[in-house]
Amino acid sequence: MLLKYIASGTLAILGLSICLHAQEFKIGEKDVQVHGFGTQGYVKTNDNNWLTMETSGGGSGAFTDAGLNIGSQITSNFRIGGQAYSRKLGALGDWHPQLDWAIADYRVKPWLGFRGGKVKTVLGLYNDVQDLDFANTYALLPQSVYPIDLRDAMIAHEGGDIYGRAKLPNNLGAIAYTAYGGRRSDSMSSGYPYELKTAASIYLTSYGGPVFGGDLRWMTPVKNLKLGISRQNERITGTGKYSGAPYTERSRHDWTNQFYGQYTANRWHAESEYKRYYRDQIILVGTPGALDIGQDIRGWYVGGGYTVNKWFECGSYFSHYRDTFGGSLVHAIVYKDAATKDLDKVVTGKFTINRFTTVKVEGHFMDGAPNEFYPAGFYIPENSKGFANTTNALVVRTGFSF
Amino acid sequence: MKKYFLAILILFGSLLLTAKAQAQAVVIANPSVKSADVSKSDLRDVFTGAASTLKDGSHVTPVLLKAGGAHDEFLSAYVGKNDSAFRAGWRSLVFSGQASMPKSLDSEAAVVEFVAHNPGAIGYIGKGTAHEGVKVLSVR
Repeated sequence: MLLKYIASGTLAILGLSICLHAQEFKIGEKDVQVHGFGTQGYVKTNDNNWLTMETSGGGSGAFTDAGLNIGSQITSNFRIGGQAYSRKLGALGDWHPQLDWAIADYRVKPWLGFRGGKVKTVLGLYNDVQDLDFANTYALLPQSVYPIDLRDAMIAHEGGDIYGRAKLPNNLGAIAYTAYGGRRSDSMSSGYPYELKTAASIYLTSYGGPVFGGDLRWMTPVKNLKLGISRQNERITGTGKYSGAPYTERSRHDWTNQFYGQYTANRWHAESEYKRYYRDQIILVGTPGALDIGQDIRGWYVGGGYTVNKWFECGSYFSHYRDTFGGSLVHAIVYKDAATKDLDKVVTGKFTINRFTTVKVEGHFMDGAPNEFYPAGFYIPENSKGFANTTNALVVRTGFSF
Repeated sequence: MKKYFLAILILFGSLLLTAKAQAQAVVIANPSVKSADVSKSDLRDVFTGAASTLKDGSHVTPVLLKAGGAHDEFLSAYVGKNDSAFRAGWRSLVFSGQASMPKSLDSEAAVVEFVAHNPGAIGYIGKGTAHEGVKVLSVR
């Protein structure tokens, strides 16, 4: 089964990479570029079904995504572009095509630029590039910081960014900044609506709200050492139905802090990030009284990779996730300030077949039980017999980009 | 037998040296670019999409070779990445909406032609390639 999958997946991706190349054509005097990417994954676990897929038993190949991009540099300072994206991840995504981003970007000076429209959200090292499998060492980024099932929640905002980059005096390196504001609007085929539907019979119809934040990264005087900090504030409202009654959840506080560092040296790279997501919500379920729920999620990882030659790179990371929650809703059910801990030890091998195609083989060794209030990769419907405390997973992912 | 291995060693050694000598890359720019030289870090920033100006304030647009010895040598000497990693970096910028992909041309002659006729263009070619109409930037 596995060998058959890898062989057919690799052949299909190779075939695509041979047929598909970046296209460039002209509209009037302007060059227009078309690029695309896609991946096909296979996940097999020894216990617990993972990421809404039926991964135990024979494994699952319901792990596919693709993006198509079009853009044009109108002048040396002005650029427009957009990207469509679609995915299937177990019960999530469901091939609903999304406008991933669509922007107009005007760069006044190297230290001052503006972009507006639907914009990818810069948050930590990888949030805005988390779909780009070819660019990362790992088949799955550390799930404590970049949960793939919650990808839709953080990926983009409708609004605008101010950004720039400037060299610092006295050989202190350079800084790059992004400040943004706008609105987040989640897909209903994402992990959080799925969690509410399957764990609590809450059927969301909308989820989103104002969001603003920023990112500051310092390219330090130590060659190839980058340090950064990101902050995001949100005011989220979710509406839907619970047992036929109107359901509303509204954030009183909802913020994320992320700290990160990355070092590259010749064939080596090493990176680490810490993320804290805190939210305090009011929940109204068709009654005058409001319930509240608070959640404090902290994740971090340390990882790195080594490029052996132009065909092979190996890497590893250690990822830690902790979710602490409390509040009147939680008290009422049973748990009180309960916490979930997850550890994930990962080893990976990335094979670069040609400049368009990669194949990754990755082992995950996870330790920790999921909770029922916020998605952490493991969901109730796919694990109706209960959760095991440990999970080992094999992930194979082939990808192409042009 | 020893002589055979020695000959093989000399043959491969000379091949490697020849390849290295042929692959030395020269950085060229359109005459509109004010600078006569460029720092290695500026060059890396421009060719990885991190910056679009040189120290003197000149706005520059990078142009790439699709493949070849000069391309590999340039990446190795000034960018510190192999071709796959280099293009993956650019695709990351393209797919996250932060940049457009630079032009990638088939031959060194085409790079010279493009750089010569496009203000602000900056590229690279092999050491022995004719380069009329462009200026050569020394790398500090």
